[in-house]
Amino acid sequence: MGPILPNGIIPSEWDSIIAIIIGMAFGFILESSGFSSSRKLAGVFYGYDFAVIKVFFTAAVIAVIGVYYMNYLGLINIQQLYVHPTYIWAAIIGGAIMGVGFVMGGFCPGTSLCAVAIGKIDAIVYVVGIMIGVLIFSEAFGLFEGIYDGESLGNITLVDTFGIEAEWVIFFFVLMAIVAFIVADFVRKRVKSIFY
Amino acid sequence: MFKNMLDKRYVFLTVVLLILGSGLLFLPKQKVNEGIDPTDLLMNINSSERFISTDQLADKIISNDPSFIVIDLRDEDSYKQYSILNAINIPFKNLMEEASINYLNQDQYDVVLYSNDHFIADQAWMLCNRLGYENLFVLDGGMNAWYKTIINPMKPTENMAMSAFNTYDFRKAASMYFGVGYPEPIFVEAKKPVTKRKAPKKVIPIKKKKKYESEGGC
Repeated sequence: MGPILPNGIIPSEWDSIIAIIIGMAFGFILESSGFSSSRKLAGVFYGYDFAVIKVFFTAAVIAVIGVYYMNYLGLINIQQLYVHPTYIWAAIIGGAIMGVGFVMGGFCPGTSLCAVAIGKIDAIVYVVGIMIGVLIFSEAFGLFEGIYDGESLGNITLVDTFGIEAEWVIFFFVLMAIVAFIVADFVRKRVKSIFY
Repeated sequence: MFKNMLDKRYVFLTVVLLILGSGLLFLPKQKVNEGIDPTDLLMNINSSERFISTDQLADKIISNDPSFIVIDLRDEDSYKQYSILNAINIPFKNLMEEASINYLNQDQYDVVLYSNDHFIADQAWMLCNRLGYENLFVLDGGMNAWYKTIINPMKPTENMAMSAFNTYDFRKAASMYFGVGYPEPIFVEAKKPVTKRKAPKKVIPIKKKKKYESEGGC
């Protein structure tokens, strides 16, 4: 049956509208769980708040388990899901830059827009910075093109990389998430709590 | 007290997560078909959209259409004897080799398959379609039809429709393009059609009498 959009159960003309609705829901949930605060987001690097790790790990675990159960029940065809291609060096370098930006600014791009929506000045500065970065990247694209397009591994997943079955990947991922939760809680209790 | 409860909740959630995560390991394996869904395959087989006529193919070749490649599925000897212009030879038995798959499994070009008739080509199409390759077409009638229609077109008889003559003209011109020589020139100077011209009508303008301007009444 699913995925709903590529199989035409909902016509593709609705794409943008559905994207807007999902975006609004995503933004609302980010904001209401306190992700528009740069202190909360940066907390993961200083060890006083691990909400970011917990939320993203939970989301990933729930999504992957749900998708695979739905695939098993025939509600969705996993082969039809879009897998973003992996450009290995672009991912590594981009990830490092993004990480540094995350620590320095206390936002990731999505949460910064969330924070702009509630009128935070640091977020506005952050978004202006993103725009300047985008401008520089686009103008100097010729320089970066080799990294941007190079070393494509194709639309691979962990299943292809490790050559083990998806069920085991999911199981290990669940274990990893649980360990991460326990360690995060352990560290948080050790670090002096900060009120913000 | 509260802290204790929280811990219990965490333990409960952990157990749930573990059960869900490991559940997939214990579920019996489902057989997953490689390639497209059988119903889709059946639908594709029943549809005749995959066939391309020899006229269409000739037209594409002559107009230098860059969007397609032609693949000859016959054996090498037949290919060397005669093949359609710019065709690539992939004998049917080599169809699933990696070098051939590079031609078949791509989304840059339309691929036209042909063999002596269209049955071998159709089989190749079915195998590839089953694997989910796209943009594949089959030359309807294959090489035999190509020979009968393009290389050696049959002259229509006098009682046939105008379109048959047009097709014949096209095919004959196409065959010349593909290197068939004709002894006599086939172009006949067209007679100029004689049309009678009608004498132009003379136009005699009739002047209208000027109306009297209305004078101020009472």
